[in-house]
Amino acid sequence: MNRKTMYAKMVFYSMLRRRSRLALALTAVIIGATVVLGMGAVYFDIPRQMGREFRSYGANLVLVPSGDNAVLSPGELRQAEELLPKDKLVGMAPLRYETLYYNKQGLTAVGVDMDAARKTGPYRQVHGTWPAADNQVLVGTDIAENARLYAGTSIVLEAVPPRGRRIKKEFTVSGILRTGGPEDAFVLMPARALEALLGSPGRADAVEVSLAAESGEITRLAEQIRKEVPGIAPRPVKRIMHSEATVLNKLQVLVCLVTAVVLLLTMVCVGTGMMTVVMERRKEIGLKKALGAENRSIIGEFAGEGAVLACAGALLGSCTGYVFAQVVSMSVFGREVSLPVFLVGLTLCASLLVTLAASFFPVSRAAEVEPATALRGE
Amino acid sequence: MFLRMIGRAVTRRKRKFLMTAGTVALGISLATAMLNVMLDVGDKVNQALRTYGANITVESRGASLLGDLYGIGEGEGVADKFLREAELPKMKTIFWAFNIVDFTPYLDVRAEAEGIGGVTLLGTWFARRLDIPTGESAHAGVINLKSWWDVQGPWLDDDDADGVMVGGLLADRHKLRIGDRIRVAVEDRTGEKRGAELTVRSLFHSGDKEDEVLLAPLAVVQRLSGLEGKVRRVEVSALTTPENDLAKRAAQNPNSLSRHEWEIWYCTAYASAIAFQIEEVLTESRAKPVLQVAASEGTILQKTSLLMLLLTVLSLACSALAVAGLVTANVMERSTEIGLLKALGAGDGEIVLLVLAETLTAALVGGVVGYVAGLGLAQVIGQSVFGAAVSAKGLVVPLVALLVLAVTTGGSLPACRMLLRLKPAEVLHGR
Repeated sequence: MNRKTMYAKMVFYSMLRRRSRLALALTAVIIGATVVLGMGAVYFDIPRQMGREFRSYGANLVLVPSGDNAVLSPGELRQAEELLPKDKLVGMAPLRYETLYYNKQGLTAVGVDMDAARKTGPYRQVHGTWPAADNQVLVGTDIAENARLYAGTSIVLEAVPPRGRRIKKEFTVSGILRTGGPEDAFVLMPARALEALLGSPGRADAVEVSLAAESGEITRLAEQIRKEVPGIAPRPVKRIMHSEATVLNKLQVLVCLVTAVVLLLTMVCVGTGMMTVVMERRKEIGLKKALGAENRSIIGEFAGEGAVLACAGALLGSCTGYVFAQVVSMSVFGREVSLPVFLVGLTLCASLLVTLAASFFPVSRAAEVEPATALRGE
Repeated sequence: MFLRMIGRAVTRRKRKFLMTAGTVALGISLATAMLNVMLDVGDKVNQALRTYGANITVESRGASLLGDLYGIGEGEGVADKFLREAELPKMKTIFWAFNIVDFTPYLDVRAEAEGIGGVTLLGTWFARRLDIPTGESAHAGVINLKSWWDVQGPWLDDDDADGVMVGGLLADRHKLRIGDRIRVAVEDRTGEKRGAELTVRSLFHSGDKEDEVLLAPLAVVQRLSGLEGKVRRVEVSALTTPENDLAKRAAQNPNSLSRHEWEIWYCTAYASAIAFQIEEVLTESRAKPVLQVAASEGTILQKTSLLMLLLTVLSLACSALAVAGLVTANVMERSTEIGLLKALGAGDGEIVLLVLAETLTAALVGGVVGYVAGLGLAQVIGQSVFGAAVSAKGLVVPLVALLVLAVTTGGSLPACRMLLRLKPAEVLHGR
């Protein structure tokens, strides 16, 4: 039997015999690994997930015509859209403002693609349903209150083109819009309906863009659009970016602190657990020394046990940690967590380091003991 | 005798006792800190979100109707509908006064500026000290409300009679710099023109429509336009509770609520309830919660609280398991002693009682130390993350006590079962 198989055998049997103690130490390592991996995954995922949640605020970049350009043409919009990263674009809604008349009184009508408007403005509350067809419109709550309109009634809107005669068309009110902002006094209608009514081709006065990106990236994209599309002036919405950054930053620091504290606790537990396991085996160490074992081989044997324990714990802990992160992510954000691969390596390293460090000190102390005293049991 | 045994166990086996107590203390300090932070995180994040800006706007009832419905922004019928500046401090006397973090009034007038043409001259408070009818004082103004504005130069002072701040876009277009002097003329309601020469004290970028205006102290604008004591619009920033069904129903029609529901709604810090209370104290006013801000704040708050709750529960579970494991290890070490007790004729019940009592004493000491340490830890977290103290919640004490009890008994019982299975002879022989 050579040295290596003997070594493996000693490690294996010593672990097998002390199942209950080992189970305790293993649990501690698993818990530690779970915390590192689970909290780590949550920590790295928070900006992405919370960034999506912040999009409930609506647009964080507004494109308006620049300089002499009075309106944005579809060509310019397409050019700008190509510059925006597809995976981070939550929604992009071109808005067209026109004055229409209802009972001879002017009101502002906004032509917009309804699906896009829902994406860029999740805060818009609609009492009723969103327009599904081109003959349906949303009416702001202030107009609805004064004109006694409600979902299901019809409204006749009148357009006055610069040349030619007035055009009248009847629409159905599909819902009442409430935002608390200026849109409460507007009529929101499908862009195509507004185009048909006015008889002029599609154009936009402003474009709401909702991007799931950090403030630095938005500023960079805005600069790029300004340079490459001459007719467009991009305006990042500062207050949103600012508070998004503050809140995200605070959350991350908080999670980081919590992780550190929990980790410290589990480290102490793993450490003390390993220490008691080693101290109990002082007799065994004494016997081995009496039989002629060197300090190095004794330390080596314990290190082997610790390493096996750490690897097993880290592996199992990674699985439970992933489940942990998934549970948090699914129940808070309703989306799957993305796991950076390097976290698994980090977990493994951390478990190895803690376990080995925790067993090294008591072992080296025990190895200093005189065999005779240890064997006598003092 | 029982008490004496426990007392002796504590004094003789100091190291072991301290170890159990220390472990529990560590776990409990974490639990205390986490629970305190978790219970406070809603308020703290709400504070951080205040940088979103105003979540309620107040206008005069008449003006808001005309402006909203007919797209008329100026002229007759609008220009003479105002809120009264003198009434504004009353907002700090409503039921949810402490939730109103800041507010600022605005008065905008059209002005002719030499070399620039027509511009909007916007008057506001910068950092005004208010004497509230209740005898207290508070600060309100645009400096706190618009913390995200990027200002080059100093903010104005409310008493500055000839200073003005210039919006970034306007300044770029007309090449205005700090120190330049602008002559402005405002036509008041009688058609008489009043002029003044203002000095550009600073430039600001708001990323919003204010980038196109001249910003001056409210008193200056009121004097120029002859609208003394009047304001057009007030922006209010309030800490609010996320909206639920009740709040939505109330916002649509407060009269649809039953008396009981109405009381709940009125006494909860919903944006709509605060807006309603503001309407009660300001004559002829109309306060509207800005849903864009209020609704998304609600979402973020809910997500953050839920996230913290889950993290707290899961990390508590982890630390409870770890501590319980350690308690088990500590109890199992005492096999020789238990073997001797058994050999001397101790019954199972007595042994379990003894072990439990000893561990619980240790855990109790550890729990108290841990609670105190945890309060300190919560402060450290509060200061380093939010820059504000975390208030100690009374609810945490029973929760922590329960946790101590559960962790120690949970940790010692499996060990006790193992101890009971020991054979006295084997243990005493030293196997």
